[in-house]
Amino acid sequence: MSKSNTLGFGLGLRSEYYQQILEQRPEVDWFEIISENYMVGGGKALYFLDAIKEQYPLVMHGVSLSIGGPHEIDADYLRQLKTLADRVQPCWVADHLCWSRGSAHHLHDLLPLPFTQESLLHVASRVRLVQDVLQRPLVLENVSAYVQWKTSCMSESQFLAELSSLTGCEILLDVNNVYVSSRNQGFDPWQFIMELPHGRIRQIHLAGHSDYGHYLIDTHDQPIADPVWTLYSKTLSYLGATATLIERDDHFPPFDELLAELSKARSISANALRAAAPCA
Amino acid sequence: MRLSAQQEALERYLATGDSVIPHELMEQIQGSNTLPAADGLMIYHNAYRARLLSVLREDFPALHRWMGDESFAQLALAYISAWPPRHFSLRWLGERLPEFIRGYIAEPQRSPMIEFATLEWAFTLAFDAPDTEPLSLDVMSRFSADDWVNLRVYLTPSVRWLQLQHNTVGIWVAAKAEADIPDVVALSTPLDCLVWRHELVCQYRTLESGEASALRLLSDGGSFASMCENLVGQHGEQAPLRAATWLKQWIGEGLLQRR
Repeated sequence: MSKSNTLGFGLGLRSEYYQQILEQRPEVDWFEIISENYMVGGGKALYFLDAIKEQYPLVMHGVSLSIGGPHEIDADYLRQLKTLADRVQPCWVADHLCWSRGSAHHLHDLLPLPFTQESLLHVASRVRLVQDVLQRPLVLENVSAYVQWKTSCMSESQFLAELSSLTGCEILLDVNNVYVSSRNQGFDPWQFIMELPHGRIRQIHLAGHSDYGHYLIDTHDQPIADPVWTLYSKTLSYLGATATLIERDDHFPPFDELLAELSKARSISANALRAAAPCA
Repeated sequence: MRLSAQQEALERYLATGDSVIPHELMEQIQGSNTLPAADGLMIYHNAYRARLLSVLREDFPALHRWMGDESFAQLALAYISAWPPRHFSLRWLGERLPEFIRGYIAEPQRSPMIEFATLEWAFTLAFDAPDTEPLSLDVMSRFSADDWVNLRVYLTPSVRWLQLQHNTVGIWVAAKAEADIPDVVALSTPLDCLVWRHELVCQYRTLESGEASALRLLSDGGSFASMCENLVGQHGEQAPLRAATWLKQWIGEGLLQRR
């Protein structure tokens, strides 16, 4: 996979900012949409989606695929996802390495999987099915976790590496999620990142979390925390330029504050890449 | 324990209201020094309810305001327990709430509350109903005589037609405005109310019975001429003018599309 054509620096597209984006044409390289928000018949969301896609590259990011769930992959969901992808023509389509639906109903959370050979084979067969329908590699994101399964015999990053090798799927590295999980579960975030196959990382996510002292919760309602910026900088020094996106899902600040955070990401990235460049 | 059994154990724990962690689940879970397993599981348990409750508050803001936070939360949690999410999108979570109220709340609150929840859900349905090309005044202005004779229309897909038995609209308006909420009053005759989307914005309005009958006739496939004939009894020779005025209004409001 070549990452030479990185998209640059993007923001999560949220309805709170639709009007401003169209009126002000802010300096954002691309936007990421929550796929499910646009799997509707019509109305405001699709109107702005169509208008914004004329101006900016888009990426699709889903939350309901439930790639590790115990149920069959929802054929209706997949059909709607493909229809949306045909409409949006996104640069790539992502979801999470998790399960969000049980055998009886939808749980609407990004639940962690046991990282076992059984899970690996289960998820790999479903990734292949999804990729066959979408006709493109699926990009999967590491999630924030608050517990681990005792049966896990590998780390999440090792699991992602194996999964990518088996299926050709790509990786969305959420640096905030790595940090949140590492604090909650007491592992080394840097080891996690080093265990990933760097050539398969398509995109990076940055977001804020809430700090409850002993543990962290991935809330996406705060500015990005300093330790996450530090981890991001160090990560880029190994990965090189990588498409980076800032997510904000609650306590929406004025748009200029998000643009300022995006500028900070640009600046940290430039410094990290400069420092990592070989001496002339 | 197999993967599916592990997932079933966690699903059962999250979806039941009981916060006591079953032994067979606890045996599978590992925590850390900073976040013990029980606390980690509790984060998921609480988040499940908080997330669904928040969606219902957003989809039924006036019902929430009308009932108060505590009563609404009680209703919502009972609903979530009876009707756990069945759709991949949280947008559909509240679909069965009006129906659930029928079996959960006793009269005299039951009927007005069902009506209220149905009205609010109508806005959710109208908000993202399929797009369409409504009949426009511009198109009408180019109608030939034959076009008028052959004109047959549907209501546009976003239109929801409610028949209200109570002063539900007044209560809804007050709740949305965070003003004093009037007492429930039963109406002597049902009131027709439309909720729909026009140019991306949700709209609502009530109809007096004559207009409601005329719109029903036309949108059921009747011709403009038959609508005029139907109005003669009440409006006499003014019937065609009355019909034309209403038709112009309905078209201006984006309520109609051609069959």
